[in-house]
Amino acid sequence: MKNPYEVLGVSENATDEEIKAAYKALAKKYHPDNYVDSPLADLANEKMKEINEAYDTITDMRKKGGSANSGYSGYSGGNSNSYTGYGYSGSSQFQNIRMMINSGRIAEAEQALNSIPQAQRNAEWYFLNGMVMMNKGWSEQAYSCFRQAYTMDPNNPEYRAAFNRMNSQRAYGAGGYDPRGGAAGCSCCDICVGLWCADTCCSCMGGNCC
Amino acid sequence: MFGYVQIEKSELLVKEYETYKSIYCALCKTLGKEYSVFARFILSYDFTFFAALSMGVHDQKVCFNKGRCTFNPLKKCVFCGTGNDNMKKAAALSVITAFYKLKDDIRDGRIGKKIRSYLVYPFFSRWRKKAAQKYPEYEEAVSAMSQMQEQVEEDQMCHIDMAAEPTAKMLASVMEMQAKNEMEKRIFSELGYHLGRWIYFIDAVDDLEKDKKDGNFNPFLKYIKDEGDNENLKKYCNEVLNQSMCLSYNAYNLADIKRFKGILDNIYLKGLPFVQRKVLFGKGEFNDEESL
Repeated sequence: MKNPYEVLGVSENATDEEIKAAYKALAKKYHPDNYVDSPLADLANEKMKEINEAYDTITDMRKKGGSANSGYSGYSGGNSNSYTGYGYSGSSQFQNIRMMINSGRIAEAEQALNSIPQAQRNAEWYFLNGMVMMNKGWSEQAYSCFRQAYTMDPNNPEYRAAFNRMNSQRAYGAGGYDPRGGAAGCSCCDICVGLWCADTCCSCMGGNCC
Repeated sequence: MFGYVQIEKSELLVKEYETYKSIYCALCKTLGKEYSVFARFILSYDFTFFAALSMGVHDQKVCFNKGRCTFNPLKKCVFCGTGNDNMKKAAALSVITAFYKLKDDIRDGRIGKKIRSYLVYPFFSRWRKKAAQKYPEYEEAVSAMSQMQEQVEEDQMCHIDMAAEPTAKMLASVMEMQAKNEMEKRIFSELGYHLGRWIYFIDAVDDLEKDKKDGNFNPFLKYIKDEGDNENLKKYCNEVLNQSMCLSYNAYNLADIKRFKGILDNIYLKGLPFVQRKVLFGKGEFNDEESL
């Protein structure tokens, strides 16, 4: 096994806080959400596992060594596993096409999708077609497919998640980079959550900021 | 490729900037040594990035030497990686892509550009021949791109993903050749594909006004035709570019970078977004944030 400190990119003398920060930064970078539609999803999962193991090993070692530990449990190892493949429950019209995509037979899936007549192309068809396009790297086609699937069936969590993922990649701050040079990876979402937290805290103390 | 893959100098450490400069100088020197003193003029940031990335992922030793600059003999330079295989590959790829770019200019450039291109054609052709002999796989990838590009531009049904496919595929296959194992192959192919898309799109955005006037092909003209030419166009271009950059960066994160990580990170996280903003929105709008 690799040296866990090397995996996290910190020195062995790093404080618990530093290790936690390094771990968090890496976990954000390799979070399975960034790679859901990517052909590299399996590699990202492995990397995430490695980071989780390294962090667990270090915290265990330090606990035994009597060093102070903040008890931060972080992203659990199981988290990364639950993202492998496209978990789907309920009935599916295109079960066999889903299987093709999950096992990486993209060309086959594309052919099967194309052979379905226009009249039968429902939200799921567009969603699956979007996944095929994403695997090919055709993200514009994928985007319009996911959008179509979402418009046709906005209540389906699977389509909504796919559409939201695309939107966050297309917005600034996607993929962990922040071109405006502020705090690393502070997306709109972080700002909203931050404001919300601040507001909640303020309200608690009796004041009301907004 | 056209020089869009740049560093953001103000965000680099001084030592990183010096290393970057020495890679740039070494690529210039290699072009001079392997091809001709005039081949130095095709030196570009894109291939400096390529050289830095491919040296960055290989174990092969990278040497730093001191020397004098050919163009300014009073200046002393540091050269990083001259004689390194990856540097030679970057030089060969520069020469080959420059040749096909020239061919493209002859095909659909303006008259002045055409004449200029014809004049230098024999030189470029000779250098390309030399590079192609050594690295036939590069020649194959780039010539395939050139052919495919011609085809997609003639296709009436061509959508934006198809238009970017030739450049994306070319860079994907060239990057793939730098890989040492199957896993790296997949990573580099994805990295190259989406970086290729980004380069293609940024060039298309940059040329949009000119192409509109000259009636040349441009992948964003279809959007204008469908949706009209309004402020949404820039937003749309920005989204397309963001996504390509994001996907390439995600792949890059999975690569095992052994050196020059600071420089490469800077290019992905600062350099490319900066270029993107400059091309899309001009310099003025971001002055307060960028000025130092």
